[in-house]
Parts: sequence; structure tokens; C-alpha cells
Amino acid sequence: MKFLCIDCDTAMKFKDVTRPEQGSVTAVFECPECFTEIAMYLNPSETQMLKSLDLKLGGSNEMAQPMQVVRSQLETAKQDPMPNMSIESVTEESTESGKCPFTSVISDAFDEKTEPEQEPTGPEWTSEALERLERIPSFVRPMAKMGIESYAKDNGHTEITGEVMDAARGNFPAQF
Amino acid sequence: MKSYKELPDDAGSNIVGQVAAQSDRISKRLASVQNTVAIMSGKGGVGKSAITANIATALTQMGCAVGIVDADINGPSIAKMMGVRNATLEYTSSGVKPATSSLGTKIISMDLLLSEDDAPVLWNAHSQKDAFTWRSTMEVSALREFIGDTEWEELDYLLLDLPPGSDRLPNVVELIPNLGGVVVITIPSEVSHLIVKKSITMARDILKVPIVGVVENMAFYECRHCGEHEPLFAIEDDIDKTLHSRTLGEIPFDPKLSRCSDNGTPYVHEFPDTPASYAITDIAEKIQEFFMT
Repeated sequence: MKFLCIDCDTAMKFKDVTRPEQGSVTAVFECPECFTEIAMYLNPSETQMLKSLDLKLGGSNEMAQPMQVVRSQLETAKQDPMPNMSIESVTEESTESGKCPFTSVISDAFDEKTEPEQEPTGPEWTSEALERLERIPSFVRPMAKMGIESYAKDNGHTEITGEVMDAARGNFPAQF
Repeated sequence: MKSYKELPDDAGSNIVGQVAAQSDRISKRLASVQNTVAIMSGKGGVGKSAITANIATALTQMGCAVGIVDADINGPSIAKMMGVRNATLEYTSSGVKPATSSLGTKIISMDLLLSEDDAPVLWNAHSQKDAFTWRSTMEVSALREFIGDTEWEELDYLLLDLPPGSDRLPNVVELIPNLGGVVVITIPSEVSHLIVKKSITMARDILKVPIVGVVENMAFYECRHCGEHEPLFAIEDDIDKTLHSRTLGEIPFDPKLSRCSDNGTPYVHEFPDTPASYAITDIAEKIQEFFMT
């Protein structure tokens, strides 16, 4: 992917990435002649595609870790047997050194998914609904939880009850 | 206005360089592997993984250093068949140490990474909606890491057990441009031959990968009382004429082979003096001959 500043007829350069929102990443490019900036938005599928290819916007100076895609992206994986070499710690190091901003941005994008309860505007779960959520197999629970919350938001529910779960059930393969 | 080709680079991401680095990682890893062999069928249910496990074991028993990549990301079975499901993978700074069978065959499989028996392969994503747009790409990345990040060390043969279908082989050839050859597994059924023909065409005519040969599994069964051979399937199809490929051998049906797969004890090691083990060992010898000439 290349970007051209039409006024200067000059190739634009990667400048920065902004914090993602709802799985979407924004990359900023700048014209080295006139310093005009443009923003490129990747939708969640495009962000995921880039992540699936294990490619990084803005380039990567870091050494790839063994099986970093499988270890960091497999949701149904065993616990990493070597936490001292976890992909997360590698990501933090690269963020601090500023070598690869996109790595941390991508990681943040998916943190949204794994910790949806931290969203301030999310609907609240009743104890009954949480109890039912616990009965969903662990490996599909995060996906089911996110889907139910998304359904609740889309349908104007501020609280997730058993009734809301029943209504959302038709959208998911898992029974709860 | 400048055209795409006139712009010097991709704004600094160097995507081409990143992809080249991924390929380079595989090349360096496979530098110590003598021969890479894809085992494919096209058709599911022909016993491809069981035959892969036993060919690998037969080669190991002949003194070869052998590794298996379970390339069936969503339906991994090699770890169970080789008795290493409970192995813990060890990560090092330079790679991942594979599981090793009791006879010394090295194995990497998605099954070794999944948390529970009933856990499917589910990838972390903001949403699973429209996952068809990226799931196959994620699977190829996983396969790339299985091949390139496993510490195979010196191997005579690295076998890749492919999932059913002819679509995974092009991915493998992208990852391993100098793939040594393809062994095709079929059963004596017109339906299987029909599908397998497509896989052979894909390998030989489109991807230009050498066909080591065709293995006919469950070719017949031998009466344990009188030793007579009886066909398991009613077929008048001539495999040599239909598939236009060299037949490496015919493996008779033996229920013990399935039981050994379930138990994680390779059949050729458990029951070496049976017609099926003789056939598998003979096939392994022919594979060796293919790569030695």
C-alpha cells in the first residue's frame, strides 16, 4: 500500500498510529514536502487480516518470537508454558523502545475484546445472567459474552438479564 | 501524477521485506532437513493420517530421522496417533522443541497447543463475524510457524500430513518452494479416485511438485483363517490407468491398525509381522528409493 500527496506528487511517509477503537486501527501518513497528514482507517476485518499475516504497519525492527502468532492469537490455547518468554512481555518491550508502535496498537485492539467488562458504557450483568454465563464452555465464553453485550447495546438494554440472554441466544452456536 | 511503480516504497512499512523475512526463517530452519514430503489425499476418511504416522514410524525404524508436521490445523490427529498428546512443548529463544514419540519421531501439531479435548481452534479477534475473510490466512500463518519455528535439527524426512482437499498443497508450496514430493493416499473407490485425481493434477500439473506415488489404503482384507484376499470395496477402476501415477503399494485392511491409532502406538511397531505392516514398510522403502535416485 502506497500513498501519494497529489499536490507535491511525492510519496507520503508513515508517521504514527492512533489508539484503536472497537478493533479498528488508524494509521497516519505525512507528506515530507508540505507536511499534509492523512489518516487511514482499517476496519476490524482489515485489522484482523493484517494481524493474521503477522505484518506490521510502519515496519518491524524486532526479532519474531517462536510461534508468536499461534501463541498470542489462539484463544483456545493451553497456558503458555514459558511465561518469562510470553508474547505480551515482548510487546511491552517493543512499545517502550518505540520500535514498532503498531504491535502494541494491535495488541490493545484485541484487549478490548478480552476485557469487555472494562468498557464504561457497557451494559451491566445481573447475578443470574453471570451465573448462566459461567455455564458456557470456557473456550467460547469470551466470544459469547462479547456477542451478548453487543446484542444488548444494539437493542438498547442497559442491563443483561436472563431474558436478554434468551433473546440473544439465537445469534450464537453455544447453548446457555 | 506518479504511478504506483514510481513511488519508491510502501511508506515505510516494508511489507515485502517482512514477508521475505518470514520466508527466510523457514529456509534457514529447513536447511538441515534433507527431504520434505507432503502426504495428501483430497478425499477425507481414507486413512491418510494413520498411514502418515505409520510411514513415519517405518522410516524411523529403518534408522532415518523423521519429523511430522500435522498440517490439519482444524482436525489434528497425529499427536494422538503417535502417543504424544500429553507432551508439553518447550519454547526457547530460537524455536520450539517438538514432541517426540517413544521411537524418536518428532511431531508438531495444533493438538499440542489446544487447552481441552473438546476445544476447537478459535482465533482471538475483535469479532468472529466475517471471520471467513481472515481465518484461512491465520491458518497458513500457523502452518508457517509450525514448519519454520520448530527445532527440527537434522532430519532425513519431514512429512506434512495435509487435511482433506487440494487447497492446502498450494499453501505448502508457497511456504516450501522446493517441496520434495507428494505421496497421495486413496482407497479403492471411484469416488475417492475422482477426488484424488484433482489433487494429483494440482500437484503435478499446476504446482509442478513431483508425485512420489499413490498408496491404496484398505485395498483388501486377508482372511485370518485361510489367508485369501477379498476386496473390501467393489470397484472395477484400474488405479494405475485412472490416476496415471506410480502405485507405491496396497495396504490391506486390518482393524488393529485403527486400534493402534486410538492407543497412540504405531501399528508397524506393535504388529511388524502382518501383511499391512509389510506393505507400509515396503512403501517407506520405495519412498526412500525415490529420494535416493
